[in-house]
Amino acid sequence: MNLERIPNEEKLSLCRRYYLGGFAFLPFLWLVNVLWFFREAFLKPTYTEQPQIKSYVKKSAVGLTVWVAVLTTWITIFQHFRAQWGEVGDYLSFTIPLGTA
Amino acid sequence: MRKMGYLISINCVKLLITALLYTCVCSSSVEQKIYVELNQTVPCVRLLNATHQIGCQSSMSGDTGVLHVLETESDLDWILSSGPHPPYMVILETAFFNRSVMMRMKNSSRVSGVAVIISKTGLAHDFSPHTTCPNQNTGVYSERYGSDLANCNVTVWNPLGNGLSYEDFPFPVFALKDENQTQVIRKCYEDHNQRVNGSAPQYPLCAMQLFSHMHAATDTVTCMRRTDLQNRFGINPEVLCDPLSDFNVWTSSRALNISSKGHAVNESVVIAATRLDGRSFFWEQAPAAEGTVSGIITLLAAVHALYPVTQEAPPPRNIFFTFFQGEAFDYIGSSKMVYDMEKNDFVIDLNNVHSMLEIGQVGLRSGRSLWMHSDPVSRKNDDVNAEVLEMMTRMRSAAAGLNVSVAHPSFTQALPPSSLQRFLRAGLIPGLVLADHQTSFNNRYYESMYDDAENLQVTYPPDLSPDEQLVYETDAAKSLAEVATLVARSLYLQAGGENSSLSNITADPKIVAQLLYSFVIQKNNSWLRSLLPPEVTKKGVNSLLSSGPPQFYIGLGPRVHGPVHSVTRFVQYILANLTGTVTNLTENQCQDPSELSSENKDLFSYFWVSGPVSVNSSSEPLCVRASVRLSEAVSPAFELLEYGSRDYSTWTESRWKSIRARIFLVASRELEMLTLGVGVAVLLLSLLATYFISSKAELLFSSAHDTPTTAY
Repeated sequence: MNLERIPNEEKLSLCRRYYLGGFAFLPFLWLVNVLWFFREAFLKPTYTEQPQIKSYVKKSAVGLTVWVAVLTTWITIFQHFRAQWGEVGDYLSFTIPLGTA
Repeated sequence: MRKMGYLISINCVKLLITALLYTCVCSSSVEQKIYVELNQTVPCVRLLNATHQIGCQSSMSGDTGVLHVLETESDLDWILSSGPHPPYMVILETAFFNRSVMMRMKNSSRVSGVAVIISKTGLAHDFSPHTTCPNQNTGVYSERYGSDLANCNVTVWNPLGNGLSYEDFPFPVFALKDENQTQVIRKCYEDHNQRVNGSAPQYPLCAMQLFSHMHAATDTVTCMRRTDLQNRFGINPEVLCDPLSDFNVWTSSRALNISSKGHAVNESVVIAATRLDGRSFFWEQAPAAEGTVSGIITLLAAVHALYPVTQEAPPPRNIFFTFFQGEAFDYIGSSKMVYDMEKNDFVIDLNNVHSMLEIGQVGLRSGRSLWMHSDPVSRKNDDVNAEVLEMMTRMRSAAAGLNVSVAHPSFTQALPPSSLQRFLRAGLIPGLVLADHQTSFNNRYYESMYDDAENLQVTYPPDLSPDEQLVYETDAAKSLAEVATLVARSLYLQAGGENSSLSNITADPKIVAQLLYSFVIQKNNSWLRSLLPPEVTKKGVNSLLSSGPPQFYIGLGPRVHGPVHSVTRFVQYILANLTGTVTNLTENQCQDPSELSSENKDLFSYFWVSGPVSVNSSSEPLCVRASVRLSEAVSPAFELLEYGSRDYSTWTESRWKSIRARIFLVASRELEMLTLGVGVAVLLLSLLATYFISSKAELLFSSAHDTPTTAY
């Protein structure tokens, strides 16, 4: 969808929908929000709805960073320690690699 | 004109089809020009028990390494430290297949795999990859029972054991048994990898790739848990490992009714036992001549000698002959039979057992005496001690008229690894183990690939045809026949038989010679073929009767491998032949004799066998009735689902997808990088060229005369 051709109120409501949707454990919506509306929020000349769009983009970016940090930590811990956890590790895994601990 | 054109097009089509067929049939694909597949290799596979994994593992896409033949110590230094083309694939000469070399390679990161040349040249004086104290944790001796005798404190049974079979190697180890194939590998090595005047060889070099990726890991508990999880929740249910299992074979001098389980009323039984299996470092290779075959042949010949006398003059007690499978792996078969007896799930129970005689390794006697081993801890009980002394007296009196002498070790010593230990775990049973060794084994190649006919000193004079070899009575056969006579007579006395009938009990050296030939030289012979069912003797890939001696590794049993393991089948049918009677039932009646009133399925089994080959080389199949039975030999740990059990065997074998080996030439890393770089450069160049051409398309491809657009 080309943002050029949409009126500003629709841009604001789109940004808000993506921001609210990300709270349903959907961090990719926040990622899309940040990437898509970055130019609108920070690089375009000012218009009425821009401050709100800017705040939504900033909050999405914060949420995204938190998610990335949590997921990276968990994935690192899991990959490193799964073998040592034995039974718990097997119950947490969906597919277990063949032939290695 | 049209007809000419038609004919020409038909000819073109024919030419095209012929050309296609030619290329398809020739199939000289690029892959065959690069790789030489090695078909005659034997891998080492991964086995797991309750706490450990042993064996070898390769990467999922195989392990590749530059070939190097290890013939001298300097070769070992080259591989481990100074060679410039790591990782290496080591071709190990027979003399270097020992613990120190293998452990040094295990700890090095420069070895990606090992291929061992199996031959008799350069073979060390002794080689046993088994542990020094076999089955030390599942025998009867522990802290609570004979603690001063536990863990081979007094006598180390297998002092020559280097424990290689129980190590965990992170790289594949294959065995090269075929001399022609080894020659191919050596030629590749000599052509490309040989060092010239001490300097390193130049690329391209000969390399080998070994595939033996095992699916199971860590231990049996983990592997079984993962199999369960996969089957319940996974999208791709896959079994990772299978328990080692097969069947025990048993028979009795008086037929026992199998429909009645638990304690058998008025039955006092003397058990005569031996083991049916062996193992080695590699998968499914276990010639086990001295370790196992000597016991099997002795007991089979004793059964044959005893049977007519027990029918004419039956002794008061029943004699129960049994062959236990899986004894190399923590007593699978005997622990299962004892477990069944304890649960009243077997035709007899432990209260029926009067005493037990086990035949251990009896092949390397060399004219010396045999030894009767007993358990000193159970003999502290007066009744047991009295019975054991009686057993020894009976044995000595049975040996009196023979060329064999028996003796008892003069000092307090544990029982050697034997099935009797599992029976002693369940109760005080007077028993003896008969063996040719007083302290440590005489067998220098215990549980290895070299425990073959030569180790058992079975040699035939030259220029004998296979059929003549089959019946030729070697010295080994005569020696085993004497032992069998001793065993048969002792069993008859032990069962309460009369002294007067003893002289009729003699083992037939001809039967022993045929058994020896079938079990250590060649199983595909006319005698064994006549004893087996007709469909087995038909040729096929999975035929039981491939060439060479049988291998005694227990394997995975009928759930995975199809019919019963070949050795179990042989012993079952040989016993049926030696103790059975021929009936005149037809094939259908033989499969199911329940309708006939004269036949009793509860007391006997019925076997449809090929029959002897008559003069005009045809054989008439016939039905044999015998009281020979199979009983399951699966460790009780798998029935109780206690995969981490310390009391029972928990051995499992991992599954795998493909096991193969191939050799090919490899280029240097620099050449590979250069090829890749040139390829990437050509790609970028072509992208650039396409971009330029497309942007200047009107200029390059405009025609000389513009097509006139006539406007009217």
